[in-house]
Amino acid sequence: MLTDAMGIIIADNSRIQLGELNVERALAATPFGGRYRIIDFMLSSMVNSGVKHVGILAETKYSSLMDHLGTGSHWDLDRLQQGLRIIPPYMQSEFFRSPSPQDINGLYDFLKHSVHMYVIVAESNIVSNISFTQFVKEHEKSGADVTAMYNHDSNSFGAPNISLTFEDNRLVDMMIDPLNPTSDCSSLGAVVLSRTLLMDLLTQAIARGDSLFNTEFILEKYRELTIRGYENNDMTLRINSLATYFSASMRLLEIDVLHKLFKSENRIYTKVKNESPARYFKDNHVSNSLISDGCDIIGTVENSLIFRGVNVGKHSKISNCIIMQDSVIMEGAELKNVIIDKDSVVRSGVRLQGSPDYPVVIRKGVIV
Amino acid sequence: MPKQQMIAMILAGGQGSRLGVLTEYIAKPAVPFGSKYRIIDFALSNCTNSGIETVGVLTQYSPLELNSYIGNGYSWDLDRNLGGLSILPPYQSMAGSDWYKGTANAIYQNITFIDNQKPDYVLILSGDHIYKQDYREMLRAHIEAEADATIAVREVPWEEASRFGIMNTDEAGNITEFEEKPANPKSNLASMGVYIFSWQILREYLIADEQDPNSRNDFGQNVIPAMLGGGKKLLAFTFDGYWKDVGTIFSLWESNMDLLDRPQEINLQDALWRIYTRNTLQPSHYVGTNASVVDSILTDGVEIHGSVKHSVISSGAIVEEGAEVKDSILMPGSVVKKGCKIDKCIIGIDTIIGENVEAGISVKEGREDFVSEKFCSDGITVFGSGLVIADNVKIVGNSMLFPKEAGQTCDVVLDSIILGVI
Repeated sequence: MLTDAMGIIIADNSRIQLGELNVERALAATPFGGRYRIIDFMLSSMVNSGVKHVGILAETKYSSLMDHLGTGSHWDLDRLQQGLRIIPPYMQSEFFRSPSPQDINGLYDFLKHSVHMYVIVAESNIVSNISFTQFVKEHEKSGADVTAMYNHDSNSFGAPNISLTFEDNRLVDMMIDPLNPTSDCSSLGAVVLSRTLLMDLLTQAIARGDSLFNTEFILEKYRELTIRGYENNDMTLRINSLATYFSASMRLLEIDVLHKLFKSENRIYTKVKNESPARYFKDNHVSNSLISDGCDIIGTVENSLIFRGVNVGKHSKISNCIIMQDSVIMEGAELKNVIIDKDSVVRSGVRLQGSPDYPVVIRKGVIV
Repeated sequence: MPKQQMIAMILAGGQGSRLGVLTEYIAKPAVPFGSKYRIIDFALSNCTNSGIETVGVLTQYSPLELNSYIGNGYSWDLDRNLGGLSILPPYQSMAGSDWYKGTANAIYQNITFIDNQKPDYVLILSGDHIYKQDYREMLRAHIEAEADATIAVREVPWEEASRFGIMNTDEAGNITEFEEKPANPKSNLASMGVYIFSWQILREYLIADEQDPNSRNDFGQNVIPAMLGGGKKLLAFTFDGYWKDVGTIFSLWESNMDLLDRPQEINLQDALWRIYTRNTLQPSHYVGTNASVVDSILTDGVEIHGSVKHSVISSGAIVEEGAEVKDSILMPGSVVKKGCKIDKCIIGIDTIIGENVEAGISVKEGREDFVSEKFCSDGITVFGSGLVIADNVKIVGNSMLFPKEAGQTCDVVLDSIILGVI
């Protein structure tokens, strides 16, 4: 448990944007699974692996992320030393502007003031309850410069997918969305390397004027660095697009998936809301659904995920839907394959229907 | 540290012996309530919502689970640099050591703690009542009337008045007489066990009470009558919201059912008066394909595959396929297996009910050796915590199932585990 590693989570990914859901919020802050945000999974995995110092690299649209993370107390990251740190981009002076919005100077400073031997760098499009303890241990044992986590389910969750080719367990090729993949190893968006090496790579990048930092930034250095692979077979849901966000959400309705993610001894932490228990009234019908605290259920809900504080009105019918926090579905409304973002209202008698591959998305705070 | 206008002391040391097996390992304030709460959440949340920043919780009986539940008060926003939440168990000192002998003695033993906070007023609460009260209103009345003590009272039906501690008052609301369970009540104002005292006055009376060898060191029986006798000004403050003492199996069951039948009275959804509770770190609850949930409240981590009617289901509880649960309370982590029929039961923490068990008020022919007239009434059946119940047994209403003692044979309770601390 006493991992000598710190964590960096990259909060957004310009190639992975979930349409309307990411207009105002970073990918990491996207609500997921009834009461979570996507980042909760990676953050909890790190905390459960003994990582006590985590930096969140926030490029843009980080207001909702900061609101969610607060002081880090919900993840036990409100520490006297270290703990949680949000690293926003910043300008060094009025006259020097970095060429891209993401500024890696802040990241460099964050690393410089840490004391840990290793850094785990993770993307925020992975939903999994991962243990990083063995990952770091294997990395230390192998003597590699970098170790990259991967698994074999590359085809199940669509593009963009980073395909890794290993020879004698050394990374020899890396392709993004190859038409004809030469390897079935697919990156899990997590790498581990020593803090000093990462700082070296960052100084070079700063000197060259590069400023995009993510796991590919490290993986593409496979020619000059020894990069080894680490296979992880934990239950993993990859979120690469709106369609995969929708299908990954629906997979939580499989009891086995639900148990693997949430009922192991390592828990997934999230911001606490202190909602009252969910209330079920007389004429409701609920089947194969996840329902959260603070909900009032009067209508019909099938194969759906209902977030905290949602009202499901009389004679309304919700099937294959994701209804986010504090939304109201009024009397007689009918929704199928629809994602309703937070604080929205669907008025009486309104009918909306999407398809599973292309769900209808209603933006935050909209009255339909 | 800066002076505090009012601090709260919560009496949470009693066993709650009338709850029988439910307080076998845990103090009454830590007993689960209302799907996601513990009883003490109400007193603690009332303090936080009333702006009180220093809270002492006096513990004595079986405090392990209560202590770890409360922790540093973080879940109620009571983890503070100054003041905040303190757990106050009895302690040894140069003067000797003593258990808390009564409610007044418990406060007496913590005079130094209170003095250190330099409060003008001290609020004394019980850790075992279900209600939402803004103590600021009561303090305002106390200050305006220049009272020495203010006691919260509520009107009870006249025919029930002889079951309560009754306050007789004059027209201005001043208490003229206190009668414990009077045969012929002169008033229907019952004490709620919520007191505000001007600290310096109470301090004198606590010291005097301690020196009286005949005193039972109880607020209701000794301190309040002594203050009345001493000519102090005691004010009755009428509270007309929902309030329930959950001291018996019936009142605990009834108060849980009130959340289903009269939810507007306590209104747990009030965003301006949240009842805070410790987070259980569980996912949203799951309702399966063949499940039916009607007229019930559920919370995180629950899985329902069977039928649930008019029941209160706590975090992590599971109802398997084909099982029927009605008019019941499932405490955290309990499991009702396939084919069970559970009617008007309270199932304790982490207890597993075997397949096809029938228990409760509707069971006509079944085991009667667990019937407990002492604890149970109105057909309510109670399973203790950490029990494993054998398959296929039938248990009649009004039963109370205790854990199996070492060496004792019992074909119904297969096994019992001493609960670990949550």
